[in-house]
Amino acid sequence: MNTPLSPSEHRELQELLGAYALDAVDSETADRVERHLDGCVRCSTEVAHHHEVAGLLANSGGPSPAGVWDRIASRLDDSAPPSWERLNERLEAEGAGAEGGGERRVRMEGAGDESTVERAAPAAGVVPITDARRRNRAVVRIATVAAGAAAVVALALGLQVHHLNQKVSALQAQPSLSSAERSALADPSTKKIELAGSTGTTTGRVTVVLTSSGTGFVEATGLSSLPKDRTYQLWGVVGGRTISLGLMGSTPSVVPFMVDGNATVSAFAITAEHAGGVVHSTNQPVVAGEVAA
Amino acid sequence: MVVDAEQASDANLVVAVARWHHQALAEVYRRHGGAVHGLARRILRSDTPAEEITQEVFLDLWNHPEKFDAQRGTLRSFLLARTHGKSVDFVRSEVARKLREERTSRETATAGYDIDHEVWDMAVAGQVHEALGALPDELRQPIELAYFGGHTYREVAVMLQEPEGTVKSRIRSGLGRLRINLAERGVAPAGADR
Repeated sequence: MNTPLSPSEHRELQELLGAYALDAVDSETADRVERHLDGCVRCSTEVAHHHEVAGLLANSGGPSPAGVWDRIASRLDDSAPPSWERLNERLEAEGAGAEGGGERRVRMEGAGDESTVERAAPAAGVVPITDARRRNRAVVRIATVAAGAAAVVALALGLQVHHLNQKVSALQAQPSLSSAERSALADPSTKKIELAGSTGTTTGRVTVVLTSSGTGFVEATGLSSLPKDRTYQLWGVVGGRTISLGLMGSTPSVVPFMVDGNATVSAFAITAEHAGGVVHSTNQPVVAGEVAA
Repeated sequence: MVVDAEQASDANLVVAVARWHHQALAEVYRRHGGAVHGLARRILRSDTPAEEITQEVFLDLWNHPEKFDAQRGTLRSFLLARTHGKSVDFVRSEVARKLREERTSRETATAGYDIDHEVWDMAVAGQVHEALGALPDELRQPIELAYFGGHTYREVAVMLQEPEGTVKSRIRSGLGRLRINLAERGVAPAGADR
């Protein structure tokens, strides 16, 4: 549980976010920032934005060197432990995540049922399942020995795969918010704006969540998938001007955004554009909604 | 699960990696290996450690795909952040420190920033270069020294002879300004390919 910060402590940590995102802080400071990020949607969103900008600066290097891949591929074969053990560890770790309540769950979008999975994931920079895996590894080893015959192991593998697939199906329908995003939703000052469109443009709800600090996110799982060369684009109406709040990708799920904390957004809209997005849209919104005063 | 790796989204590929599909990791490497290796080499200025770090980054994804959070950014930015962290750890190690002490800080900064010569996508790189160039020097220099030179903000403060608080603040506001500059040029850093 994070201790609440005073406004001045929060400002001090905020000032560190750029340097943290560029790995330009010492390890103690990095630990401090990471503990804070787990509970602060505003700061975790800002760091995600800094990482994206840094990623663009680094986008260079030409083709992937083939010789390096050969060495990676050879180590995959050498290092892979028995699949039964690995799969069991993963399932145990997932179980621990579901019961722990303190870990967020991550949804990774896929094109179809078979390729979509939701797994326990660490909070920003923390690896909460490591200890669970270590503990489980000992249990798994004992279980493996007890199982003995290869036929038994094969049966167990079959059952575990079936169990995993069931778990995947069950989890697909759940919303997938980080702990910081859930905290934002629970805050009474947070605004929730339902965006609506003409019949057939959505397959479910599209909701904008806007915190009083100006950070927010769109739960956009209700938007139909677009072709890969298209993207959804989020817009906000501020002082009568429509400004772009960011690209959302062709199959968006939960997309963070940020507006100036002092700006009053009167409406949100989402349009479908070509993959690079546009500065000014001439397309009709797919969905839109006004922010209640 | 049948995976058409070349057609799959990045997030989909990570799901396949989590199920130990070699082909999926190969496709992730094909898409992002060049950028990962390029960043490591730029920071380390040496091929051998850059190749070792490239291997580590992809083996880490293979062993711990759950560390990728699709809601917090693209796979490329995740891989590059990991690459940057590992490269900086190496740069700050004792061995590398001795080598680095032989160079001047200015040489490091200049040599580290050569985006003109190594581009993965000319269209985007041109816009990134423009956006970076539009930053005033006092915002651009600390970012270059920290990101490409692998220096802490405290080291950057010494190098630029500025107060630590000023440098820390300029890195943050510089990245914010850069994001705006990129958006004005039609490059939206966040939200793509979730």
